[in-house]
Amino acid sequence: MTEKPAEKTEVKLEIGRFGKFLQDNGIKSKRQSDSNNVETIVIDAKDLEPAMRLLKTSSETTLNFLLCVSGVDYADKIDSVYHLWSYEHNDALVIKVELPKNNMTNTQTPCMSSISNFWPAANWHERETYDLVGIRYLKHPYLRRILNPWDWEGHPLRRDYKQLIDALNDKNPHSFR
Amino acid sequence: MATELTTTNLKTDEMIINMGPQHPATHGVLRLILKLDGEIVRHVEPVIGHLHRAQEWQGQNRTLFQYQALIDRVDYLSGMFTSLAFAHACEQIDGCEVPPRAQYLRALVCEMNRISSHLLWLGTFLIDLGALFGFPFYPFREREKLLDLFEEIAGQRMMFNYIRIGGVIRDPKPTWFEKVRKFTQEFPDRIDEYEAIVTQNPIVLKRTKDVGILDKQVAFDYGVSGPSLRGSGVNYDLRKVRPYGIYPDLNFDVPLGQNKGDTWDRYMCRILEMRQSNELIKQCLDKMPEGEILGKKQIAGLRIKAGEGFSAIESPRGVLGCYVISNGSDKAYRIKWRNPSFCNLAVLPSLLIGRPISDIMAIFGSIDVILPDVDR
Amino acid sequence: MNEPLKILNQSNELVSPELSDTVTLTTLDKAIDMLSTIVSPIANLARSNSVWPLTFGTSCCAIEMMCVGMSAFDISRFGSEVFRATPRQADLILTAGTITRKMASALITLYEQLPEPKYVIAMGACTITGGMFNDSYSVVQGVDRLIPVDVYLPGCPPRPEAILDALLKLQQKIRTENYAKRRLKGYDQRPVRYVDYDSGRPMEDLLAMAMEETKEVLTKQDNDNTK
Ligand code: SF4
Repeated sequence: MTEKPAEKTEVKLEIGRFGKFLQDNGIKSKRQSDSNNVETIVIDAKDLEPAMRLLKTSSETTLNFLLCVSGVDYADKIDSVYHLWSYEHNDALVIKVELPKNNMTNTQTPCMSSISNFWPAANWHERETYDLVGIRYLKHPYLRRILNPWDWEGHPLRRDYKQLIDALNDKNPHSFR
Repeated sequence: MATELTTTNLKTDEMIINMGPQHPATHGVLRLILKLDGEIVRHVEPVIGHLHRAQEWQGQNRTLFQYQALIDRVDYLSGMFTSLAFAHACEQIDGCEVPPRAQYLRALVCEMNRISSHLLWLGTFLIDLGALFGFPFYPFREREKLLDLFEEIAGQRMMFNYIRIGGVIRDPKPTWFEKVRKFTQEFPDRIDEYEAIVTQNPIVLKRTKDVGILDKQVAFDYGVSGPSLRGSGVNYDLRKVRPYGIYPDLNFDVPLGQNKGDTWDRYMCRILEMRQSNELIKQCLDKMPEGEILGKKQIAGLRIKAGEGFSAIESPRGVLGCYVISNGSDKAYRIKWRNPSFCNLAVLPSLLIGRPISDIMAIFGSIDVILPDVDR
Repeated sequence: MNEPLKILNQSNELVSPELSDTVTLTTLDKAIDMLSTIVSPIANLARSNSVWPLTFGTSCCAIEMMCVGMSAFDISRFGSEVFRATPRQADLILTAGTITRKMASALITLYEQLPEPKYVIAMGACTITGGMFNDSYSVVQGVDRLIPVDVYLPGCPPRPEAILDALLKLQQKIRTENYAKRRLKGYDQRPVRYVDYDSGRPMEDLLAMAMEETKEVLTKQDNDNTK
């Protein structure tokens, strides 16, 4: 598509508090520029489950409030973004998992592991992300479409999604703009 | 409790009942697939998405200026809050200043909106409990007054489009403030009136006490927030914990549920919150400064800088979050809503299982879910 | 005993040819038809002043529909305060709120469950054209693509006064009806099209696709046989 995502300036950022905590426990992470003073880190897909388990249960961090799981479709990758808060402290953390998109079509889905087995809040969020952005969360107990009908084709929030045109909805999607 | 209700040896065949999407008590279009053993609910599967209007898709296909008018529909009972969350996220990215008068006006209209939302909840909750006609007239009477006030500043009864990126769009007349003050003066009496009918009503107590107890740990696990969480005695209000806007300057305490987090506690919590909001409105009126109201020009090609922003505010239903990714053009690259109802609804199955079918509506009504907020 | 009769209108034309052989006219019906010019105005006056709406609300407009039933606007002045929860007791659907593909099949079912005579008021911009969400992938562009509509009520959301106005318009419409013709299905009472719940697509498309597939398979078989 013509629109380009925000360009990131590649500056080597210092490791933050949570990045350090994860490093001490043997999980590598990359710091990204903060948004509104909230630490943002990128971790590998395979490290996600242990990292989340640590962050949720360890007494040092107790990031026990999963705000949301969102999927973002970029030109070359799909991000799965986790916003974590704490019910007790004023801590906040954003975790991103980048999934490469090797010329994927709209019906193909990248895979990563689910965290809904130990974090019930993630269950519906992951279903929603699967439905709209098309990230397949492995080991999810019930990965079905949640907002769209069950037999829906394609993932609407992908940039290359082609809208269904039929007797119910036949407008040219760009007619108003 | 679940065991008490099922100790009889009468084993019946399981029955599957479909409830909704058209049901007068599901507040819209929720579908519940219930598996019943006699009267007792054994399994619940909520089916949502009957009102999926693709708000997030609209967000990345319309310009920011156009989208501002749409976001009132994300949660139509508290349109001010959805606008506020979006405005906060964009202001975080853009770094534009919001004038103090606009901040106070925002808090003022938000608290008014909180009252109107809770009033509608009160009416529908009592309808859910079976008070079909009669009682709902009372809260709707006050709600109409609030809607008239909103109409005066925003031009619409429900879809305000009043809070914009960088401030608010219209400066109310001095007479408007007088009207609001008059409303706040008589409103506590009105709440007393509702409470006289409902709070110690034996039927209401029977239907709500010890029904649908929400355990703290379960609430944490599912990410429940708002009055539903505070009914369980957890002191978690974003206006206190992560204050935004002018809330640090205001003086208030957060009402909490007193016993164990049952339906009655959640009811009481909302009633107290209305009184609290009324006090907050008075404080806002007293402190209202003079000056500018809009820090960013509202033009059709409204742009914000590139970047990411996540804002969260305390809406009448809980933590309402908005995650905006912008690439510097006049459209957002991605908008994601974190809706309180969506998360609060996920906890419904664990509250319903083991309860008789007649409790479903009492419990469902008490967590105050609103369907466009779930489906977007 | 009862011969299938042809339904003729005043100028001796067949009213609805495809229905004429399924409807049998009893002597009572014939009598009613004869008396309809006298009966209709009285029956219509009674019917128009007791239109019972169904509590069908999907989104924002439903809140205004609630407001109109409450004390400030008081729809009971016009005889419609009895909001019925089941379609079998209602006369009118106020389609308050956006209809999505997933909801479409439910709306059609509700419409079919309404007993005759039934009316539809398309309330709000969303149910007229799709409104603000006109081009969303999941939204049906107006309920008139699903069910026949009697009164269109624009607004987003329409003010409660506008709802009352639409109701009065509907009452006017009811008063002009011919009772006997309504009974004999002379008016349009079927859904315009059906929608599949699981895929949110019109049934006609799915059928056409299935037909095409079978045809392909059959031609392939034929080719194989001839070889
Ligand atoms: S017409 Fe407007 S108010 Fe009515 S359902 Fe549609 S968006 Fe909501």
